[in-house]
Amino acid sequence: MPDTQPTTPAKQFLADLNPGATAVVLDLDFSEADSVRLMELGFIPGISVSCQRSVPMGDLAVYQVDGTQIAIRKETASRIEIQTELGGGGDHASGN
Amino acid sequence: MPAATEAVTASPQTRPAIGRAVAICGPPNVGKSTFFNRLTGLNQKVANYPGITVEKRVGRIDLANGEEVDLVDLPGIVGVHPRSEDERIAMEVLRGSSSTMPQPEAAILLLDSTNLQAQLRMVPEILGFGVPTLVVLNMSDDLSARGGSVDAEAVAKQIGAPVAAVSARLGTGFGKVLEFLEGTVLPPPPVELPVLNNIPAGRRWADGVAREASYHPPEPSVWRRRLDKAFLHPIGGPLIFVAVVVAVFQSIFTLAVPIMDAVDAFIGLTAGWIGALLPDSMLKGLLLDGVWGGVGSVVIFLPQILILFLFIGILEDSGYLARAAAIADRSMRAVGLEGRSFIPLLSSYACAVPAIMAARTVENQRDRLATLFIAPLTTCSARLPVYALLIAAFIPEQPLLGPFLGTRAAVLLGLYALGFVVACATAWVLKSTVLKSKPMPFMLQLPAYRWPSIRSLSYRLLDRSKIFLRRAGTVILVTTIVLWFLASVPYTNGEPPAIGDSLAGIIGKTIEPLVEPLGLNWKVGIGLITSMAAREVIVGTLGTIYGMEADEDSPALQDALRSDLTFGSAIALLVYFAFAMQCMSTVAIVRRETGGWKWPIAQFAYMLALAYGAGFAAYRLFG
Repeated sequence: MPDTQPTTPAKQFLADLNPGATAVVLDLDFSEADSVRLMELGFIPGISVSCQRSVPMGDLAVYQVDGTQIAIRKETASRIEIQTELGGGGDHASGN
Repeated sequence: MPAATEAVTASPQTRPAIGRAVAICGPPNVGKSTFFNRLTGLNQKVANYPGITVEKRVGRIDLANGEEVDLVDLPGIVGVHPRSEDERIAMEVLRGSSSTMPQPEAAILLLDSTNLQAQLRMVPEILGFGVPTLVVLNMSDDLSARGGSVDAEAVAKQIGAPVAAVSARLGTGFGKVLEFLEGTVLPPPPVELPVLNNIPAGRRWADGVAREASYHPPEPSVWRRRLDKAFLHPIGGPLIFVAVVVAVFQSIFTLAVPIMDAVDAFIGLTAGWIGALLPDSMLKGLLLDGVWGGVGSVVIFLPQILILFLFIGILEDSGYLARAAAIADRSMRAVGLEGRSFIPLLSSYACAVPAIMAARTVENQRDRLATLFIAPLTTCSARLPVYALLIAAFIPEQPLLGPFLGTRAAVLLGLYALGFVVACATAWVLKSTVLKSKPMPFMLQLPAYRWPSIRSLSYRLLDRSKIFLRRAGTVILVTTIVLWFLASVPYTNGEPPAIGDSLAGIIGKTIEPLVEPLGLNWKVGIGLITSMAAREVIVGTLGTIYGMEADEDSPALQDALRSDLTFGSAIALLVYFAFAMQCMSTVAIVRRETGGWKWPIAQFAYMLALAYGAGFAAYRLFG
């Protein structure tokens, strides 16, 4: 399926989220152990996540998820599926 | 998402028995150390878990009812699925499966009340261990200052365990904590809690608890955003990083010097008093030149080491260090490591021993080995006395960048850079050959910014002073005394020998051909041998050797060195100390951490070859 326009319902990933934008975590594509750790740090499906800024001198970005700030690499963020439309996040608080 | 299918029940509370251990656990960055310091005060000690080398801090509290409780500060955990060695230890202690420590009688779970919904998720996991637990909602001051609130009693009812809201920083709310330790807190009735192994379900449950407890999260901290904007700015961020590093090293010289002069004067003064009290004898020589002079010449450097630890403490406690690690990730990655390795490496600037222990937090075993292999190449504080002495003796102080950077600080920075660059190159070689591995996802939590508390910083410095002075009183004292004897025998006609004719002199002259290619003489050669025990020993050794050549025109060690060494040989000596693994404690800790002699021997040989080769090159270049 050609994904020419952003309107196509293609899968979206955290790495595509621009600084300042918010989305909801959908799914984690990692080994069991890595997924558990990501969830323990806040990347729980259904929770709201926002991209805060990219870190200078590298490919890390800082995300605000479940009240904490986590820096992860683009490569990791590209395996966290998200949904950007509003209202998909249930009633989880967006944190502070 | 799977639903909660099984449940655990919070266990009934019982009082901790006399002298029994109570564990403090919780996620990182919730103020566990501050809480622990607040409760135990000075009555604490740092020890290693036997057999394994993660530090454990134990403190004893005398309760109002006459009982005693030992508090154990466990490493931070974010859940019950440990990935690194220190998390594994915390988990084993709580589970009661630790071979080195029985299951604690009770536990205190410390949570950050400014992010309560997320952190409450851990409550069922910890209560599931079946240990009576007090849940402490810390940072209550921060919560209310930013307009948040929570009903602690309602939380207690929801989770079936007692809850206290405290501010460890201000010391408020501790009444309930002490009552819990005394065993007089009546637990709320037990409740059903969600399953342990389902994080999403646990998280939804936590939301419910927070809602029932009318939890109002605080307003987002404006400072966090502002500071991140500056510290992680694309251009400003790295510049601030460099500026912070330069400021730290510059202050090691400018701030510490007056204090060191004061210590120096004090040691000189007391030596005078002791000298006046004692009759002339060989014992007087030993006490004055050997013990007081030798140990004193090392103790002088305590202010510099404390200033370095103070700055690292401020960087860590304020939350800046994690940002620095994030900025460093790219560079660390270039040499095959990751940002997480940055933190042990940074602490190895203070001392390689805790740094090698801290490498336990690096999850990838091969990254961990590479990290502990290169840690001793970074400039630890034990090198400072050596560097400081040689720089002060051989580098004239001149301003380079106005008042910001002088020549001496610049040379010091250069030595730090040298160690850093070689450490990186070594890591790169290791990671592209024997320690090659697949990358793991890198996740770095950035804690909230906080004012470092004077209290916590003082405890850190106190710990460091104790460790340093203990070293000065044992390793350094013993080598100094042994050296003094070697330098004082054989007595001829009731007179001590000239230093060149003493046993130490004979040994030194025997090895002189080995150190000559570096432009060094036999006196420094003796120092290179004694400082195999610990680097800073060389200062005391040179003090003893030159002190015995009582030359009234140049009483100071610096002058003596200047008359004996050329500029090139001083640089060679500096470079030698930058690379050589002159530290028995490091060899011992690497052996323990890697479980054998292979790594420490490889490391020692590698660093010695590097030191000798680079020293030789430096002497050729500058001599």
